[in-house]
Amino acid sequence: MSLLKAEDITVRDGGTTLLAPLSLSLEPGEPLVVLGETGSGKSLMAQALMGTLPPELQATGHVALGNRELNAGDPDRFRGLWGREIGVLPQEPWLSLDPLMRVDRQVAEAHALVRGLSRRDALARASVDLDALGLSGAGASYPHQLSGGMAQRVAIAAARAGGARIVIADEPTKGLDAARRDDVANLLLTEMGETGGILVITHDLALARRIGGRLIVLRAGAVVERGTTREIFAAPRAAYTKELFAADPENWTPRRQRAATGATVIGAKDLSVARAGRTLFSGLSFEILAGGILGVTGPSGCGKSSLGDALLGLVAPAQGTVARTPEAHPFAFQKLYQDPVAAFPRKRSLGKTLQDMQGLIKGQQPKIETLLDALGLDPRLLARRPGAVSGGELQRFALLRILLRQPRFVFADEPTSRLDPITQAKVIELFVRTAVQDNVALMLVSHDPALIRNTGDAVLSLDPASPPVGGELAETTPAASFGVS
Amino acid sequence: MSALDIHAAPRRGLPWSRVIGSVLLLMVAALAALGSLVVPGDPFAQSLAKALSGPEPAAPLGYDHLGRSIYHRLVHALRLSPLIALAAVATAGAAGLILGSLAAARGGWIDRALVMLADALLALPGLLLVLIVLAMMPGTAVGFWAGLSLVLWVEFFRLTRAATRETLASPAVQASRLLGFGPAYVFRIHVWPEIAPMMLTAAAFGTATAIMAIAALGFVYVGMRAPAPELGLMMVELLPYWREAPMALLSPVIATFVLLLGLTLLAGSREQ
Amino acid sequence: MTALAARLVQAAMVAVLIGIATFVMMRSLPGDAAWRIAAGRYGYDNVDAAAADAVRAELGLGGPVLPALLQWFGDLLRLDFGNSLVTGQPVMEEIAHQLGASVSLALVAVVLSLLIGPPLGILAGLRPGGVLDRALLVVSTGLKAVPQFLMALVLIVVIAVQMRWLPAAGHGELRHFVLPALTLALGLAAVNARIARDAMARIAGMPFWSFAQWKGLSERQVLFRHGLRNISVPLLTYLGLQFVTLVEGVIIVESIFGWPGIGHALVHAIFSRDVPMVQGTALVLGLGFVLVNAAIDFAVRRIDPRQAT
Repeated sequence: MSLLKAEDITVRDGGTTLLAPLSLSLEPGEPLVVLGETGSGKSLMAQALMGTLPPELQATGHVALGNRELNAGDPDRFRGLWGREIGVLPQEPWLSLDPLMRVDRQVAEAHALVRGLSRRDALARASVDLDALGLSGAGASYPHQLSGGMAQRVAIAAARAGGARIVIADEPTKGLDAARRDDVANLLLTEMGETGGILVITHDLALARRIGGRLIVLRAGAVVERGTTREIFAAPRAAYTKELFAADPENWTPRRQRAATGATVIGAKDLSVARAGRTLFSGLSFEILAGGILGVTGPSGCGKSSLGDALLGLVAPAQGTVARTPEAHPFAFQKLYQDPVAAFPRKRSLGKTLQDMQGLIKGQQPKIETLLDALGLDPRLLARRPGAVSGGELQRFALLRILLRQPRFVFADEPTSRLDPITQAKVIELFVRTAVQDNVALMLVSHDPALIRNTGDAVLSLDPASPPVGGELAETTPAASFGVS
Repeated sequence: MSALDIHAAPRRGLPWSRVIGSVLLLMVAALAALGSLVVPGDPFAQSLAKALSGPEPAAPLGYDHLGRSIYHRLVHALRLSPLIALAAVATAGAAGLILGSLAAARGGWIDRALVMLADALLALPGLLLVLIVLAMMPGTAVGFWAGLSLVLWVEFFRLTRAATRETLASPAVQASRLLGFGPAYVFRIHVWPEIAPMMLTAAAFGTATAIMAIAALGFVYVGMRAPAPELGLMMVELLPYWREAPMALLSPVIATFVLLLGLTLLAGSREQ
Repeated sequence: MTALAARLVQAAMVAVLIGIATFVMMRSLPGDAAWRIAAGRYGYDNVDAAAADAVRAELGLGGPVLPALLQWFGDLLRLDFGNSLVTGQPVMEEIAHQLGASVSLALVAVVLSLLIGPPLGILAGLRPGGVLDRALLVVSTGLKAVPQFLMALVLIVVIAVQMRWLPAAGHGELRHFVLPALTLALGLAAVNARIARDAMARIAGMPFWSFAQWKGLSERQVLFRHGLRNISVPLLTYLGLQFVTLVEGVIIVESIFGWPGIGHALVHAIFSRDVPMVQGTALVLGLGFVLVNAAIDFAVRRIDPRQAT
């Protein structure tokens, strides 16, 4: 018998349908993955199943849980299910734990208040739960003392302490390093066991593949494709699914590494950078040639962004030197930011900001109109403020702005980590094409090793746990080279 | 959830509270500026025979205990303390803005020294400082201006410093500097748009604080001296005659409330 | 530790500022200050040139500025505030008398404001945009526009003069507390309520609030277990900053209701140019702010482990 059966769930905002009728069922021991990009309606679907939609949205449809029938249009009835029947693993669990309460208390309170255990028994149960998740001894910690992965395990213990057999996980890998993805998948699968059910909502293809079970692909509020996860990954039928899979950096065609053509634009010699007294990396030496792409990857906190900032002179190196080609003008060294909204004047229209740029540079320079055309940007967007265009568009505007400066070196700091996969693929392709065309040395930083592997002429891995990668690249690809001593 | 972001678009236009606040202030300003033109009269002229008598055409709000026209005293009072307050806010705002951006941009010992001074002033009740300065200054109006400026600059300084520091550390400023823009551009395009709305709020709060301080000290006989027409002084002078002439007391009370309410509404919430 | 050091620096700066201000005040006293001070001490009938000279020498009034300033700070450092110029009594004794009356009034007012403001604010913050929220906004905006002296005036006129329920002035009995404490409490509550409301609305929008509900906790359980503690942090911090407002209120309210406290004494001292008294009271008030805020820093650290590092 199904753990949960939802029939014809729809979500509307007045006259607009945000989620077309969707039916699904959750079977014991078989995970269900809902895959989609931002705006696909996957989170709305989860909210409709939990009765947590914002009041201005209306849901219809039926949800059957065991022998209970609920109307999705009457969200108040769902409240009694929370914790008891349905457990929710929230996005970014480190924000979902009360910062002022010890974590064992946060698990124990569900045992005590939902299941009615005594205070002492509840704490004992919480301690058993945490031990089982490999968190022995962490009970007395506060959330800010935990890593992201630990917080996630605490959250899953807390979410299930009330006795819920079903777990809904909404973007469980959001904000976590790529390396943690498998841990999350294993955790969810273990928690489900033989008799529980999990519903995973994600945009992360690797996570979806790892969870397995059955898959629903959503786009713009409608189901594109459904079936078993294995079959769909092996042979997607819908055009959109194919496009989505092709956009995954794992599936990109690796760029053909080019032979050296240009001169060295920027180089590091025996470089060490420290932050807050901690050495991030040391003894790093490399050169990037004109038109060459150096890909840098590593887990968060490894210092990959600080490396770029050190090259740009924004961070003073602890040791070693950075050498720039003497013939470049002082503003030919530029940066693209992870969050482009934060990199533009907040209250000024894009057009004005670009005009300021044009006014600053005397003499020959590329025309804004030409660049808009080349980057596929609609000139009407110029009237808008940075917050009012999409992330992909704004990142292209950021590129346009630095192209006006005719850069020789660009440090792109996780430029696509906030974009959907399809947009990400387009933006990266554009960056690479521009760098090669304009003979710009590009340093591309990403937490995604696949993206870096398939994009860079040379790859530098700053993972402190594993040795630097790409030794053979250094020998075969002179377009960018490095050595680590 | 991200599908809902479109609903969170920022609201355009002035909030209603600011509109009402501006209207109230305009009304008070009109009375202060044009009051003596509409009904000419002297706020100091006494006619004891008319003491505490009711309104008449030459004195639309009646007479006080010394037979002076309350209307004309009120019109003058509404010029006196608001003007002192505005002068103090202008001085304090300019000082706070300059010192705040200096501290944020320079950092180092200038920053530390200014923050130390501001923190120490913050620990002292404003009224106390105003009273001490009043005791040293020759004229009461000048004393109020100097004392209030000394008290009020701290808030402007703290706001400017905090906002400037945050903005200067932002990726947007880093990007502009990398692209070659100078400090003037950074201040005009990045910093000022962040500070300006706060300055309006702080100025409105500061003006209200200053007017309250002048009236409060007048009310306990340590501010403006009689026979000056001042809001707090008028109230305390008329309080004993509340039963005989309630309107006489209510006039300055209502005027003060309207003035302060207008400023509070104009200021809006601090979080904005 | 650094927070404690910062508070110590603040305390030292407060003492320096008050020292300078009162020194300048002393030097700028109009007329022959020494004569006046001697008169204050010994009575006008007993003053002669010798007495005035003795005072002048004692206070360093006639001499050059720098040694006099050093002497002034030396006295300050030894906590020797001297004698009141008006009563001739040691300043410390005078203040010790008055401080109790002020502290009790302030405490009653703060407790009263905390009973009125935060509960209303929390209820409003749980339903932002609701009827209570909008009503509270209107009332608190109105109250914020009423200065303490005006509040006192309204309460006196309505409750003491019209209704004759309570005395307008006096000290010693419980009923004398009501009007001055209420005057102070209403102003404080108007702000407390807004702070609590904004904190509540912010916290109710945080992921941990929803997650606590998803765990199966009821609305009330979520509020008591996760709401109140989180609200108390911004509320306490703000309470510390409000201390200055409270002291200003105490100065005014004591003067209006004839409350024999430190605020009343301060106004008198400034009015009669009793510089040692001004210095003593100002120092007590300024250091009181630092002390209260240091205590609040400590309390916030105990509640919020993130700030304890």
